[in-house]
Amino acid sequence: MDAFSEELMGFVQKDNQVEASKDPVPEIHLPWLSQHIQSTGSHGQKGTNFAQTTSICLNFIQEALLKHQWQRASEFLQCYLQTLEDINSQKRQMAPEIIWKLGSTILYNHPKSNVETFSAFADRMKNIGVQNYLKISLQHALYLLHNGMVEDAYRNLNQAESWRYGEMSASQEKLIKLIQAYRGLLDYYTWSKKRTEVSSFDMDGFATNAATQDMHSYFRQASVNLHEIIKIPGVWDTFVKSYVEMLEFYGDQDGARQVLTDYAYDNNFPSNPNAHIYLYKFLKKEKAPEDKLISVLKILHQIVPSHKIMLEFHMLLKKSNKEEHHKLGLEVLLAILDFSGCTENITAWSYLAKYLKQIIKGKHREWVQEGWSSRKDWWPTFHFSYYLAKKNWKENRILALKKAFTSGILLGKGCKYFMYVSKQGHKIREKSIKTMKKFVMKHNILDSEEH
Amino acid sequence: MDFPDNLFPTFFLPGPPGLSDSPASYLAPAWSDYMQLLKPPQTQDPSINPQHEASYVTKWGRWKSDTPGPLPFLLPGADPWDPELMSQDLLFRGRVKQPARAKATIDVIEQLNHFLWDHGDIAFGPLGMLLQENFNLGEKKKSRKNKMVMNTEWLLRDLNGYQPKGCPWAHLSTRQRRFSLLGGTVLGEEVENLLGGLLHEELETRWKRLLLDEASTGGALGWVPGAKPHHGQLVYPTGRAHDQLNFQKVKLSPTNEPQALGDPSHILLRGPVRQVVTRTIQGEGETHKAACFPLLGFPDVASGAPCPHPSHESIACFRLTLILSSALVAVRSDHHCALWKLEHRGPPEPLQVLEMEKEATGISLSPHLPGELAVCTRSGAVCLWSPQHGLQQIHKDPETFVFKDPSSWRWADFTAHPRVLTVADRTGLRFADARAPSDCGELLFRVGAEASCQRGERVLLAQYLGTPDPLPLSPTLHLVCTQFSLYLLDERLPLVPLLKWNHGLLSPPLLAQLLPPPYPEAPLPLLLGGLGGHLRMLHLSGSGRTPQLAAPPQSLPSLIDSLPGFPVLEPHGQQLLQERLRAPLTGLAAVVPPGCPSPTMLLFQLSAAGDVFYQRLWLQPDTSSESAGSPSTDHAEDLGLNSHSQTSATSSLGTVSEPSAVSWKPRAVACCRRWLKTLLQVPPTLPSWTPPTFSQHHLRWLKEENKGKVQEGLRAAMAEGRLLLQGDLAPLPPSDPPPAHEPFGTEDKLSERLEASWERKGAIWWDGQRDGSRLPRKRQSREKRRTQLSSSFSSVRSTSDFSDVNSPLPHPPKTPSPLHRMSETSQSLELSQELWVKNIPRERRQTLRDYLAVLPSPDSGNCSIPQFQNPSSQSLSTSEPGKCSVPCSQNPRTQTLFSPLPESYSAFYSQNPNSQSLYSQNPNSQSLYSPEPAFNSVFHSQNSSIQKLPSRHTPSLAGSQPLRKKPRMGF
Repeated sequence: MDAFSEELMGFVQKDNQVEASKDPVPEIHLPWLSQHIQSTGSHGQKGTNFAQTTSICLNFIQEALLKHQWQRASEFLQCYLQTLEDINSQKRQMAPEIIWKLGSTILYNHPKSNVETFSAFADRMKNIGVQNYLKISLQHALYLLHNGMVEDAYRNLNQAESWRYGEMSASQEKLIKLIQAYRGLLDYYTWSKKRTEVSSFDMDGFATNAATQDMHSYFRQASVNLHEIIKIPGVWDTFVKSYVEMLEFYGDQDGARQVLTDYAYDNNFPSNPNAHIYLYKFLKKEKAPEDKLISVLKILHQIVPSHKIMLEFHMLLKKSNKEEHHKLGLEVLLAILDFSGCTENITAWSYLAKYLKQIIKGKHREWVQEGWSSRKDWWPTFHFSYYLAKKNWKENRILALKKAFTSGILLGKGCKYFMYVSKQGHKIREKSIKTMKKFVMKHNILDSEEH
Repeated sequence: MDFPDNLFPTFFLPGPPGLSDSPASYLAPAWSDYMQLLKPPQTQDPSINPQHEASYVTKWGRWKSDTPGPLPFLLPGADPWDPELMSQDLLFRGRVKQPARAKATIDVIEQLNHFLWDHGDIAFGPLGMLLQENFNLGEKKKSRKNKMVMNTEWLLRDLNGYQPKGCPWAHLSTRQRRFSLLGGTVLGEEVENLLGGLLHEELETRWKRLLLDEASTGGALGWVPGAKPHHGQLVYPTGRAHDQLNFQKVKLSPTNEPQALGDPSHILLRGPVRQVVTRTIQGEGETHKAACFPLLGFPDVASGAPCPHPSHESIACFRLTLILSSALVAVRSDHHCALWKLEHRGPPEPLQVLEMEKEATGISLSPHLPGELAVCTRSGAVCLWSPQHGLQQIHKDPETFVFKDPSSWRWADFTAHPRVLTVADRTGLRFADARAPSDCGELLFRVGAEASCQRGERVLLAQYLGTPDPLPLSPTLHLVCTQFSLYLLDERLPLVPLLKWNHGLLSPPLLAQLLPPPYPEAPLPLLLGGLGGHLRMLHLSGSGRTPQLAAPPQSLPSLIDSLPGFPVLEPHGQQLLQERLRAPLTGLAAVVPPGCPSPTMLLFQLSAAGDVFYQRLWLQPDTSSESAGSPSTDHAEDLGLNSHSQTSATSSLGTVSEPSAVSWKPRAVACCRRWLKTLLQVPPTLPSWTPPTFSQHHLRWLKEENKGKVQEGLRAAMAEGRLLLQGDLAPLPPSDPPPAHEPFGTEDKLSERLEASWERKGAIWWDGQRDGSRLPRKRQSREKRRTQLSSSFSSVRSTSDFSDVNSPLPHPPKTPSPLHRMSETSQSLELSQELWVKNIPRERRQTLRDYLAVLPSPDSGNCSIPQFQNPSSQSLSTSEPGKCSVPCSQNPRTQTLFSPLPESYSAFYSQNPNSQSLYSQNPNSQSLYSPEPAFNSVFHSQNSSIQKLPSRHTPSLAGSQPLRKKPRMGF
């Protein structure tokens, strides 16, 4: 009987394992589940006293942190250090990381903490449990940087970089890369400091030469490290910018362009708007042809239509010779104004008003109608409500006039927004009102549809 | 819109969640929970020292509360509240072989057992019907000829004595044995298979709901600002089924507590209210009701061009001044969604109701276009709904986005683009474009390695953080909460969280609210609430830059933290109160009252019991002065350098100072008391299940001569409207005593005592043990003490001059109070210190000693004696075995124990330490006379022994507990 049940249990377990291996995604894990189980009470032992006290202690620390009682938290942390000697090997391994997180938070916020304290703690923690050496070193270095201690930070990063302990895991390799990248960044700072120094030297070939040599060695150090990190997918705005700046300085335009193009268009990277901006700015500085600039911004327009650089894009398109670019120019403006953060962007509204006038004069009314068709059911409420007319007129008269003109063109002379603003403008004898009214009467797309 | 031009360096490594080897798991932005705010130095201007300019440097201090916990805002509703199922009710409570690998095991057998007892008619009814023709249930033997009919009279009679569970000595008759052998397979299988399966399914869903009750995601408490700056309305559900939607007008004050103006107006709905969303209409005071606010259902006017006459315009302006505030209230029920319009005057105006086949899981109101809503259901469909344009389905996918997850929970919210929505399921967030519904939008968030998610992490809440008002934050931010962390995402940079914080909540975070800054340039408070009542507050800052925390996150008090503000009650009252305060948090609404001299915030909380609590918070600007303590160098030594010395640390623990502790102010306590008084007047819920106690069987098999008596008794009881007692029917049929075990030796005191206490004669037994002949004398002396005490009591009364309050006991307890027995016992125990040692088995002595140590002194134990208005009933209860042991009065507590007392009385008490101290030594009388002394004890003797006392009295007080399950007949 027993053998049979054991066999049965074995089957069940096997089944479970099979199921588990079939489904790679684990089920939802609820951290409060254990609480529920414990509350039923009679589940035998609840772990050793040791485990109980440490977990209670951890709770106290977390509570104190959330109440900003740093002193209290630090005192509890002293007791919590006992987890470093936990019998449970898994917990023992986790302990240094938890202690570091808690301790660094406390020391970061404690009113009487200082850099020395933090450094002493960090140095100590680095060597407890080798797993966290790199991580803590990096955070320590950033802390020092934050406090303006660049040299110490540099020394720290250097030390961390040269650290070796057995086989490195994939994540540690990446971490090393990141540490090197930060060191490269600090090299870059020194480089750019030297550069300003060199440029301020007026003469003395020898001194300049030595300084330039020195500068160049910093460039080499920095570029190696920065080049490495930007090959890994990620968000590396700072690193890319520094690297490109140095490349540009040494005249490697192609290299710089390649770096920026990769950063913007590599599919493994997240779609980072900044990458496109950097490339655009670089090309613009390089005086690249307008078509090239337009194609860069066109992609950005698809990703982030609300970006402020889209106004520049509109001007570019407007200046272009191609008709399709002119058409896109309208769409770009309308797309900016779709977003709730841009509703009171006066530049966008005045561009739109001007451009509408231009398009209508240029007999491309259908473009307006096309752009308007997907917006006509919600723009009136979104942009041209009576409330907004009142509000805009009160807060920004120019904005109100631009919007009124646009609303008149798009919605006809009966539009509430247009009516309110023209009436108010009439009252104070605003000159532009008359011409606006005249234009709207003649050219609004509603009336022209009917004709 | 500005996009931050320098993002924090991060790895972007796609993959499944829980890759422990991902460096991103401890790097930015998930880097270190608090220190992630450090940023790499700015590069552009090399002349600047590469030190980060201003991150984190400005310490914004923290929000502090006036009171240590939230205060009740509205009086509790008239409906009693029953806490939902708890894990104890469902889980297997047996011993687990491997505690380390203890898993939640639903105790189906126990539940099935309950079910069979509880709903025997359902469980066995159909079988009974089938077998009916073959069984004779003890009628006159008319069907003797039919051999197929079996007489079950004897079988049933046997079964009646049979104890179904746990008794090894239970007698099995041969008849029973034969029956169970023959019929067991048929009878058992049906029930097991059908019911067991169904029950298991039900239990599983209940258990899942207990762990994660997603129905209340989003919260059911809404705030609608009113026409005047300090007025507004709270919208929340109450009632046992949460089906009554209330609109409570509230007046805020910059310095005082908020006031509820009048009674709430309410609407009774046909389903439970799960979520309430409110939004003020930005175009408040629109001129043409229909034209600008098309939801009223006047499409003809809406489409027509407004009349350009000036007279009309002036009317419009006039209206503008009148209708200053209107708001929309959207409500999600299980299968309905509804929209109301709320104006300053007049009742809420219903606009439209939507009915769904599948359960609705989320509703949100557009911050851009008034009256537009996003609704999603369990079918995986997401619709844009506006009462004017109807429904537009923009997404439908029963499958989850990223990987397969069984949950059908969906959520929808808006984005910075009014035509683009986000759709969330447990695995991620996706954009859905209303202009191109068929397109599969981009993912905004994915539970995976990019955000360094853990194994088993799931999205529990998603919220768009943009509002129509321009905020210092970019309007493109989205909040995503999982059971572990909180993420902030920018919709322009999908999949890369800008901020990640481990919230550490031990309940699902289902509520979140972003508030406007308390004053310009200040960071924005972001509130996060867990279903268990835990609250977190974050401070977000960063316009044009990436959002960052402006101060370390903090926790706010939850409802249960208010418990010390309430007077100490007797155990059942205390339990009621605790259950009430522990009720899940189902709504959260924070208001920043305008025009406050200092940044203030009012935080309203709604619990599942329908209670609305509030708390006033104010911003304490600087924290650095707050923390006191030893010089930092010292503890640095301890922290860093002596990290292995575990003993030295404890010594400094005593010096922990908590300068931020807030005490309970009398006013707050008075507020709690008022609330509590109403709460205790609410009739308790009847337990959903009581064991079957009244067996027809007994009536049926009664002897003929008894029948008449039984009917008489029944009639009499019904006429009087009281409970049927055993005495009304007949003397108990003689039943065999339970099989006795062998006595341990010649003098088995223990079993004697157990027997005595079984018959509720424990006290007498004690007396008898001590000295049978001394019993009468004992009584006398007790009588004597009683009079002494009552005279001393009356002297207190006369001096303190509150006879008007205490003299009339509205409803003296008709029934015996076990308190008396308690005191008797304790006293006798005290007096017989020497004797009992001899009589009690050695192993029990320590227990008794401990027990005695915590008892009050004999003097105080006797103070309760004057309570007994009806000593005869007491003797009745102790002398008659088998009598109903539970008093019949249905509601003795609310009238007798908590008679409302004038304020002056309590004021007097709090100033009169003498009388108070007398009371505080007298827990028994206190619990019976009036609650006031106990209330006062909170002021004076927080640490006195009273607080611990009631729990010890639990068993003895049971007789007067109205919470006790249905009075029943004991057999």
